[in-house]
Formats: sequence, C-alpha cells, structure tokens
Amino acid sequence: MKQLRELVTPFASVAETSALPGGDLPWLQTLRQQALTQFSSAGLPSKKEEDWKYTSLWELSQQAFTHDAVNTTIAAEQCEKLALLDDAYRIVIIDGEYVADLSQLDGLPSGVTVQPFSTSLAFVEQQLGQQVALDKVGLTALNTLLMKEGVMVHVATEIVLDKPIGLLVINSGATTNLATHLRNMIVLDANAQATVVEHYAGVGDGVYFNNVVSEVVLAEQAELFHYKLQQESHHAFHVATIAARQAAGSQWHTQNITLGGKLSRNDVHSRLEGEQSHTTMDGLYLLNDEQHADTHTRIDHLVPNTTSNELYKGVLDDRCHGIFNGKVIVHKDAQNTDSNQYNHNLLLSRGCAIDTKPEMEIYADDVKCGHGSTVGQLDMDQLFFLRARGLDEVTARSLLTHAFAEDVLERIPSESIRQALSAVIEQCLPRGHK
Amino acid sequence: MLEIKNLHASVDGKDILKGINLTVKPGQVHAIMGPNGAGKSTLSNVLAGRDGYEITQGSVVFKDEDLLDLEAEERARRGVFLAFQYPVEIHGVSNIYLLKAAVNAVREHQGLDELDAMDFLTLVREKLQLVKMNEEFLYRGVNEGFSGGEKKRNEILQMALLEPALAILDETDSGLDIDALKTVSEGVNALRSQDRSIVMITHYQRLLDYIVPDFVHVLSDGQIVKSGDKELAKELESKGYSWVTDAPKAGQTA
Repeated sequence: MKQLRELVTPFASVAETSALPGGDLPWLQTLRQQALTQFSSAGLPSKKEEDWKYTSLWELSQQAFTHDAVNTTIAAEQCEKLALLDDAYRIVIIDGEYVADLSQLDGLPSGVTVQPFSTSLAFVEQQLGQQVALDKVGLTALNTLLMKEGVMVHVATEIVLDKPIGLLVINSGATTNLATHLRNMIVLDANAQATVVEHYAGVGDGVYFNNVVSEVVLAEQAELFHYKLQQESHHAFHVATIAARQAAGSQWHTQNITLGGKLSRNDVHSRLEGEQSHTTMDGLYLLNDEQHADTHTRIDHLVPNTTSNELYKGVLDDRCHGIFNGKVIVHKDAQNTDSNQYNHNLLLSRGCAIDTKPEMEIYADDVKCGHGSTVGQLDMDQLFFLRARGLDEVTARSLLTHAFAEDVLERIPSESIRQALSAVIEQCLPRGHK
Repeated sequence: MLEIKNLHASVDGKDILKGINLTVKPGQVHAIMGPNGAGKSTLSNVLAGRDGYEITQGSVVFKDEDLLDLEAEERARRGVFLAFQYPVEIHGVSNIYLLKAAVNAVREHQGLDELDAMDFLTLVREKLQLVKMNEEFLYRGVNEGFSGGEKKRNEILQMALLEPALAILDETDSGLDIDALKTVSEGVNALRSQDRSIVMITHYQRLLDYIVPDFVHVLSDGQIVKSGDKELAKELESKGYSWVTDAPKAGQTA
C-alpha cells in the first residue's frame, strides 16, 4: 500500500500506462501524460487555494491505498437490495471492476449504448476530458491518469430512453484501503432523452477512496435527468467532479444527494454554450457525526437566453461540517439570462458547522438573477404543535426534518425515483438532539 | 376532570399567572374571558405543556394525574387537546399524515390497534362533514395556504378525530367571519358530551352566543377575579372589562 502520490510513480513514463485500459491508444497516452505532468507538479489541492479553503485533504494524502482489489464477492441478493430502482437498466461496478453477471442491460433500444468504460475507449476519443480542466483540480488529473472503469452511455439522435439507467458502484469492503478512479461519460445526441442514476454505496465500514469524474455532453435539444446518490461507508473518502457541456436547447437536470462518507467533495459544473439551454442543479446533504461534506457548484452562462435553477439544502447534526459554495457566472454576451440559486441549511445541534456562499458574477446588463442562503433551526412552534397532537419529540423532529429535505426531491419529475430517494433519505435522517 | 390549584407561572422571570384556581367537571363548558395581557394564552399553553414557562407554585391535576409532570405529547395522548389560536403552517407534511399520526398516537396509548389507511379515510371523511371541509384539504400541507377560517376548522377537525376528554379552545373565534364562526361553533357543539369538558378562552362575548358555557370566569392580571354563569359575559360586554379589573380585589384597601 502506498500514499496517493506514490501510487502515481509507477506511471512516471507513458510506457508504463500500457497496463491501464486503452494503454495502446496514442491519444489516450497523450492525455495521460498531460495528467501525469499536471499531478506531479501540482499534487492534491491544498487549503491555500480558495476553492479548498474549508476542506483539507491532508488526511487523505497521508492515508495508504492500494489499487488491487481482492476477494470481491457481492451476492446478487445483496446487489438487488442496494439497487435504488427495480425497473431500470443496470450496470454494476464492484471494487472498481465491472460485474457483468449483476448488470442488466438486456433490451436496450437500438441506438443506445451502455457499457463499461474500459471497453468503450474507442468511442470516447473525441470527448473524453473535454468537459473537465486538468489543471483546476489535482484529483481530476489523478483520475485521468489512473481511470480504469466506469460507465459510458450514448443515446443517439431522437431516441427517448424508456427506462432509467442505473450505475451501481459498490465498495464491498473486501479490500482494505482500496482506491478507485471511476470515469463516466454520458453523451446524448440531438433530441435524445435519458435518465441516469449514479449510486455509490459502501457495504462495509472500512476506509477507501472513490475518485469519480463524470462527463456529460448534451447536443441540441437533448435532455438528461441525472441523479447521484452517495452512500459511502462512514470512513470513506469520496470525491466527484461532474461536468456538462450543453448545446442549444438542451436541458440538464441534476440532483446530488450526499449521505455517506467521512469526507466528501462534489464539484458540479455546467457550461451553457447554446441558446435556450437550461440547467437544474439541485442537491441535498444530510450529515451527522463528524462527517465533512463540501459542495462546489458552478454554472457558466456563456450565450444569450439561457436559464438555470439551483436549490441545495442541508441538514446537519452532531459535529459535522458542511460547505456549500455555488457560483453562477453570467458572461458578457449572455443577455437575458434567467438564473436563481438558493442554499438552505437546517442545523440540529450546536456542534455542527456550515459555511455557505452563494455567488453570482454578472458581466451582462440585461439579466434576471436571484440568490440567497439561509441557516436555521427547527421551528419551535411547529414542533410544539406536533407534540400537542401526540407525536413524540423524536418523531416530530424527524418529520419536520424530512419535510425540509423533501423540498428538494419534490423537484424530481419521475415519481418512482422520487419515492426511492425519499425512502433512502427517511432512513438516513439525522434525528437531532434537544 | 381538571383541577387547577393556586397556579403560578412565569416567562423569563416575569410572573404571568398569579394563583389560578379552577375546577372543571366532566361535561362542563367553561369560558375564560379577560383583557389582553391577562394571561389567557399563558394558561392554555401551560395546560398543553409548551416549553418556556416556569411553574413557580401550584398544581394541575387531570384525571387523577399530575398534568404538569407530563410532556406535551403525553398530555395529548391522555386526552388534553389544545385548539391553537394561531395554527402553524407546516410545508411538506400533509394534513392527512398529521391527522393519522395523531389519531394513532392516541390509539396506541389506549392500547388499540393502529388504524390502517382505509379505515382512517372512512373515519376522516365522516368528520370532515362536521366542519364542512372538502377532502382536498387532507392532501395539502398542514394549514398550508389555508384561510383563517379554514385553519380553525382544521383545528376542530383534529378535535373531532382525537375525541379529547378536555378541549382547550384558545381564541378559536379570532379572525373568523360570522359564517366561519357558525361552522366552527356547530362543530364544537356537536362534540359536547357529558364526559367531555371544554375550556374556551376568548376575548369577546360573541363566541359565547354560539357555544353557550356553563360557567364564565374573568381572568385579570394572572388571577380569576370573577366567576359566574353566562349572564356574566353579557354584563361584561355592556360594561367593559374595567368593570371587574379596576374594582378593588377582596382584602385590598383602596
């Protein structure tokens, strides 16, 4: 086992990366070389950087990890239990390896490709790495260098997918201190429509590191409903970058739900590059114990007549620490931008902390923008009302907390997904102390 | 049913109730009237178990139990019901969910099985008619976007479902127009029975035309200064509260 920096050293020359998927592809060798150079010079981000002010990766950097998974066994039954949706296409990755037996990809309409990333490299040459900046976050460079598995989704022109695609990523706990670098790529051609659910779940209680990069490319009028549910183990490190580029008339609806992990960080980024395009960027973080969860979002309005809508909510308990930093940038030419961004937090204990910073940078003059954030506690009048109707205090608190969180889920159009997520959240709600 | 003896309560060190004595027997309807700031709402909150009040002296016995020793939810399950002066809105909790949870909390305490969704719906439909409410109200957030009258009707709906032994109606008439007042009063009157007691707290005599009390008490500066029958309310209406509140109290010299 080695620290993250040392894990990189075997690949000090491009020739060594041939052991990784696509190692023989020259374009990929070039990309990996760039990533290696970047990571070697910059390393992991430090708290000195503005974007990492509240999140220290020191503990992560000192932790030893391995890339070699052993003895992975997850029963079909267990996998079924973890799966969020019954009626969905499913691709399962356990401890970083694609598991065909547990995946369910039968009956995909023609024109739709859903396959493991490792066998899709030939398809993704044109787009891989185009949505993320290697120099911004060292973790993306690390991912780009070491990526082995993930999912590739491609939906051809005009196709509306009948069922959601579920990506189920499980850490079985069999390998101590496993590090995985997953790379997902979702490409929707013109007028295509799909729903993708990324679900990360830890079975054991061990330490591991999941470093995820998901890239999204939406062509004209394409529409993607994109959900991410993070239920890693309580000792896991989870870092994810989700980035989309949107052509004219396209719509990207994201929901980002953080429940697990000791330390988690999400960077969600959309680029509205075509007129009439729209981003919904919603999320929820429910934290307790000593969890640390950092969400950074960024929406770039680059052209006229684009819209975005953002609502993040947080419920914090015990001694956890939440961070929300949302940035909306309305560029010079982006007239008629309509954007709003809100972050609301419910604090259930005195020991927890939230740092929230919704930001707007506006360089156009004809725009409609609103933003704000709140930090509050449970409403004592509501609590008393429920107790005066016979509900015990714990139930009353959890009911009000659930109602607070449910607001975000209400924005999900699919009833089955909304209900599935609501049920998961019900289980995980911090109970709160008096 | 309810026996309040020499009850003193304070908020943030300020004395509000200064020795309340009141006995309510099963089936009786008592009206407690008084000017603003007399302690009417404090009394109802103290009886329902709201946090933030310090009981400095006295006792409250409800059906042979020390009421002050019980949490708000324990009082509710034993049959104490407070109809709120200002019912809160709760976004994200549906009315029907609250009603069912409340009914089942009481049933559980009584050792009865929980009502399932179907049985509950049958029951709640019957009670809706009592307060002339549309079924659509069940599926909205608790009191969310309800008018003043709808909120009060919703309170009486809860009372009808929970069938309390003691109902405390805190300014139930406030914010109601005549039609809504009639509907709410009819609902309350329908719930009058020989084993249910009602304590009505009100500023105005008007409510008592619709829900006729057996006893009327005047609360002033934290004490009951005068008690009588429904005629007392009428006298108050014509003479004003100053008639009783400004009169020297027994034992005091002018």
